[in-house]
Amino acid sequence: MMTRRTAIGAGLALAAAACTAGFASFETRARRGQTSPIDALLIDETIEMPRQITAFIKACGQRWPLVGIQLDATAHAGLMQVLNKSSAIVGISSGATLFCLERLGWDHGLRLRARTQWCAADLNGAACQQEVAAWLKGAPYSAASPSPLARSYRPSRADGTLHGWCMQKSRPRAARPERREV
Amino acid sequence: MKLPPNVSQADFTAALSAFAKIVGEQWLFTSDEDLELYRDSYSILWGEADERTASAAVAPENAEQVIELVKLANRYRVPIYPISTGKNLGYGGAAPALAGSIVLDLKRMNRVVEIDEQHGYVVVEPGVSYFDLYHYIQERGLKLWIDCPSPGWGSVMGNALDGGVGVTLAPYRSHFDAHCGMEVVLPNGRMVRTGMGALPGAKTWQQFKPGFGPRTDGLFKQSNFGVVTKMGFWLMPAPENHTTGLVTVPRLHDLIPLVDIIGRLEQSKLVQGLWTLSSPTTGTGGDAAHSAGGAKVDPSILAILTDPDGVNLDKLDTAALSTGVPFWSCEFNLYGPKKFIAAQWECICDALAAIPGARFKLNEIRTLPLPAKDLAKLFDVGPLGIPSLRTFSLGPMISYEGEDVVGHVFFSPVIPRTGEAAIEAMNVFAEIARKYRLPYPPLQFPSAIFERAFLFAVGLPVTRSPVVNAKVRKAFEELLSMASARGWGEYRTAPAFYELVMETYSFNDHALREFLETLKDAVDPNGIMSPGRYAIRSRHLREPKG
Repeated sequence: MMTRRTAIGAGLALAAAACTAGFASFETRARRGQTSPIDALLIDETIEMPRQITAFIKACGQRWPLVGIQLDATAHAGLMQVLNKSSAIVGISSGATLFCLERLGWDHGLRLRARTQWCAADLNGAACQQEVAAWLKGAPYSAASPSPLARSYRPSRADGTLHGWCMQKSRPRAARPERREV
Repeated sequence: MKLPPNVSQADFTAALSAFAKIVGEQWLFTSDEDLELYRDSYSILWGEADERTASAAVAPENAEQVIELVKLANRYRVPIYPISTGKNLGYGGAAPALAGSIVLDLKRMNRVVEIDEQHGYVVVEPGVSYFDLYHYIQERGLKLWIDCPSPGWGSVMGNALDGGVGVTLAPYRSHFDAHCGMEVVLPNGRMVRTGMGALPGAKTWQQFKPGFGPRTDGLFKQSNFGVVTKMGFWLMPAPENHTTGLVTVPRLHDLIPLVDIIGRLEQSKLVQGLWTLSSPTTGTGGDAAHSAGGAKVDPSILAILTDPDGVNLDKLDTAALSTGVPFWSCEFNLYGPKKFIAAQWECICDALAAIPGARFKLNEIRTLPLPAKDLAKLFDVGPLGIPSLRTFSLGPMISYEGEDVVGHVFFSPVIPRTGEAAIEAMNVFAEIARKYRLPYPPLQFPSAIFERAFLFAVGLPVTRSPVVNAKVRKAFEELLSMASARGWGEYRTAPAFYELVMETYSFNDHALREFLETLKDAVDPNGIMSPGRYAIRSRHLREPKG
């Protein structure tokens, strides 16, 4: 049985492979009409990402558009466009950023479908990075039956840890239109 | 699905069907999943029978649809509850004041109707957020600033109607006071325009607030007399420069002349930017609220700050004096041409030099706008007229009574703008915080955000435990009772406390409330408009008088 400790050392190659395989598999399912493809991977830039997670994310960037998230006005307009145009997004962020994104996403018809949080103690370990990879690989599939945990994020003492999440527009949904002018 | 009170299932269904014909099926929300979004994330009644949850939500596209929906609400006697963006967390969010109300979600009405750089105003619809307006101005390169609260994702109009405040110059900080003219759909479906807007073809709707006859605008602040569909705001000309200046004074009771002198400077309009009060004894230098980093506190002071029986201010005063740490600091935001900033600072220094031991430091005057790389380093960009959500990234939430804290409700009394009142409030509120073991800083300071009074906002923890939330509500009641006994009233509150707070405004046997309810009965005889908002009850919600 592979434990967290035995997995340490598997390294970035495995992470990248998991990431790529995950996306490929996911897209295959999407083509079969089981779910929709992921449009972007949103990465929280308000927190310092563990080194190995950063490398993993970089590898993911070869497959998906990466969108950096800042909770400021500079990033806001771009973020709104991503939320408006995306059918499904995944992300890695702090709890506080997820709290904001979930509410911003509501106005664009996005709903939180899957969520997890990771090991605060060993975020720099390869094991954690593997967990991130594994979760991202499987997260979109849980969309059909969101767990109670995933329904809505609530702030907690765990805000400082990393959260992985997936938001989707499950059906054509009325969303706040982009700002209009008269 | 929850039904509105005193509404039959048949009428409710018929009303929703009629609503859908006006706005389109996709803009009527009735599923549990959709209605979850209209819960108040920070509700102090979360999951309890008394939680104010919506029965449905409907999102009109324009004022004409609002009129039709209001008329239908009257026909079927269903309560509607307008929200703008529903982001006023801590004061109710998107949830209605009366459980079972149909939320009238105005987020689709997000047009910037008019902006005038020369005369410095904008007219917006309810769904325009501070981010929207900021980007609108930036895209056009207009030399205008907005005054935004923190966080900045809320509605410009909604924040003003709820009595919200910002952090730039005094004339713009009180958002309702900075408004100029509104368009309102009354509870009978009739549209009115206030001020000069009542004059067809008016050329000065946004330039002359009083209009002709009574000022009616105030009736739509924190009330339930109509749906505001357009609102004008005065905007601040973008200043050329900005800096901060720091003043420290050594003794506890120096706060009294400090506040008095600054008050005179403000009344004379020599000080217009927001100034913030803090104490270097806590390890902050006055502007440290804007920067992270471990504070170094002298051990003798630390022992006083961490005393389980509370901070004894007199002992802290003595310790501060012996260690050479000033007791108070205040940071002034200064805006304008460099020579104007220099003159303002000179006036501040001249006036406050009357306090023995006062020290002064003017920081570098920066030309605006600041480069992006410099802005990125600032935690709080509100004083620069820029919205952000950074307030949410202050750090992990804490726990209270073993429960995760998921949000807060504010206890927000207005206290006199005097040093004596500030010290008294610091002591009495800290005592209640200790009694309930509330998460509370060693020293909490009043805010100078209002022009002539202090705001003493205390964020009370909200959890998902009904037992713990009940304890917090009890703490709120005690804070309110303690404050009102001293003549300090709340300026704004969460829906769970509307009734409690309104009860404290009881002069002449609740004459104000009776007057508001007389108005309510006259303009909204069916009681369909935001019933219960700010405890203004229509006839059918009032208890029979004994």
